[in-house]
Amino acid sequence: MSAGDERAARVRELLAEVLDVPLPSIGPGFSAATAGSWTSLNHLMLVSQLEGEFGVIFTNAEIGELTSFDRIVSALAQHLEPG
Amino acid sequence: MTPLPEFAGGSLTAVAAGVPPGSPWSTYQSAARKLDRIPAESVPEPLRARVAVLGSFTLEPFLSVLRVEGARAGLWIETYLAPYGQYLGELLDPASGLYRFRPHVTFLAIDGDVLWHQRWTENPPLLSEPVVGGLLTPLFAGLDVFDHAGTGIVVVNDFILPRRSTEGVNAFRSKGTFAHTVAHANKHLRLRLAARAHTFLFPLADLVAQVGRNHAFNWRTHYRGHVSWSDALMGAVAERYVGFALAALGKATKCIVLDLDNTLWGGVLGEEGPGGIALGHHWPGSEFVDFQRELLDLQRQGILLTVCSKNNEEEALAALRTHPAMLIREEHLAAYRINWEDKASNIRAIARELNIGLEHMLLIDDSPHERAWVREQLPELRIPEMPADPSLYAHWVGSLSSLIVLQHTAEDAQRTRQYQESRSREAYRGAVGSLEDFLRGLEIRVEIDLVGENSVGRVVQLLAKTNQFNLTTRRHDEPTIRRRASASEWRIYTMRVVDRFGDFGLTAVAIVSPGPDVWHLESFLMSCRVIGKSVETALLARVAADAREAGASALSAEFVDSGRNQVAAPFLANHGFTVGDDARWHRSLGASGPEWPGWVESITPTGVATIAARVES
Repeated sequence: MSAGDERAARVRELLAEVLDVPLPSIGPGFSAATAGSWTSLNHLMLVSQLEGEFGVIFTNAEIGELTSFDRIVSALAQHLEPG
Repeated sequence: MTPLPEFAGGSLTAVAAGVPPGSPWSTYQSAARKLDRIPAESVPEPLRARVAVLGSFTLEPFLSVLRVEGARAGLWIETYLAPYGQYLGELLDPASGLYRFRPHVTFLAIDGDVLWHQRWTENPPLLSEPVVGGLLTPLFAGLDVFDHAGTGIVVVNDFILPRRSTEGVNAFRSKGTFAHTVAHANKHLRLRLAARAHTFLFPLADLVAQVGRNHAFNWRTHYRGHVSWSDALMGAVAERYVGFALAALGKATKCIVLDLDNTLWGGVLGEEGPGGIALGHHWPGSEFVDFQRELLDLQRQGILLTVCSKNNEEEALAALRTHPAMLIREEHLAAYRINWEDKASNIRAIARELNIGLEHMLLIDDSPHERAWVREQLPELRIPEMPADPSLYAHWVGSLSSLIVLQHTAEDAQRTRQYQESRSREAYRGAVGSLEDFLRGLEIRVEIDLVGENSVGRVVQLLAKTNQFNLTTRRHDEPTIRRRASASEWRIYTMRVVDRFGDFGLTAVAIVSPGPDVWHLESFLMSCRVIGKSVETALLARVAADAREAGASALSAEFVDSGRNQVAAPFLANHGFTVGDDARWHRSLGASGPEWPGWVESITPTGVATIAARVES
């Protein structure tokens, strides 16, 4: 598994834990628009868990955009694979 | 209707086992959702704790952590969270959700900023101590309302300096610094909480220090959404909150079972001899002296110390009696089993001797092997993992949350002595013939009285802690007892028991609702320490005599099976009650009976306080 795949797997786990949704339902296309439990408070906690887990700090602009599995994975890639 | 799935006793601890302490919040969150899937109604009543949290910042995420830490201690925690920023409004309004929830424990999680921020920006610095004290007035107005209309205990955290000061190196010369404000506020808080019987101070500053200030707060979530506590602080606070909940429900530890070799002292006594064990003013040995000191502090609060150890009894007792550096002496022990038999059987024997349920006992043993064995044999017993390094014992024991003692009465301080007197009674029982001869020889005297100012605290404590001889196991808090004590529709009887070996203190309570024709026993309970002396018959006889004198013709009562009170099950039938269609028990009073036991002498109440003040003030 590549580093990117491992990251994506861990993101899926975190989303499942924080939002209380089954792991298989999370993948490309999973987003705040479709997950009812993706409330503003859960979003706040999700962002802080991602920051803690991956050792990154998201900017305010990024935080507003982290509203789907795909966007989270790509934002993490930008932080962790610079250049 | 679909029947509820059967509640599996281990499911709470099994869910918590998947969340090692120190886990990130997401792991707690996921486990809490697993707890949600256990239907609340399927959880037995004694395991359910209603915990209210009133905060001045966002605490929703914390509730998941609290529920999981509760499950780790075997509690199903139902939570109530006041609407954001409404903690004062909820306290001040007896019609609020808080009061309807009827909590066992209410935690106030307050950030000091909300109290003084406005003043601070308008008028820095806050020079005057009375001004700072005055900021707490609304909070105490709320606590006053809760005292009269609320339930359970209230726990309020102290205030903290959340970050390093930028007030400069000369700030220490001034009295108008942020540090002074916090110190003044804490002083007022402490004094004013201490004057109240069922409010407690939560040592948040202490927990923040333990977690480390740099790790205790998450400033990003604080500014983004008022979630101030870090994952680590949430875990530490939840664990301590659970300790208060256990104590409020009467589930705290009542008895500690101690090993000897490498637990109370270093080395193996049988091999190294009394001169060879590590115990004294210098290392190695000083760490064990400190550990013993902590244990004695717990003993002074009423937690019993016992020893269960594989040693030669004479040799071990000689060390306890004569080693110059030993702090825990034989007289501090309520019971001991020092022999080569297996520990589980020995601990069972100690439980029987002291009449304490295994779930109220905690084992401290350095051997992982012994801990594992006993854990397998006695799953109800609390057996915490302990550090391998004795230098950490004294610190570790202070972190055990089941060792919180809420009420501290004169009885607590004397309890070990009472159990030792009981040892003499057992020896005496062996030397006499019939049970009645035995009881006569004990010279039992009882003092029956109605509850008064100096016995309220003890009555509330007995209601909260008595599990075995208890007809209805109704827990009432102090405001309820005070209300009833002064209301004509209630009579609250107390009974003190003394025998030739010693004074048991106030050990039985009857709460009676005296109707014109029928007197109903709403609660009737007796400490397990006086079971087997027939003094319960004396108390019932007194209630019956009073009822007869007041013109009533019958008594009624209930027996509510709690799973723990089997010893009280035959009481009503044995005293002439029969069960009616309404599932209540009834007994016609007639001209006489139940008969006062011939071997019990009645002492007239002197009115002298037999109960000392409760919490230090």
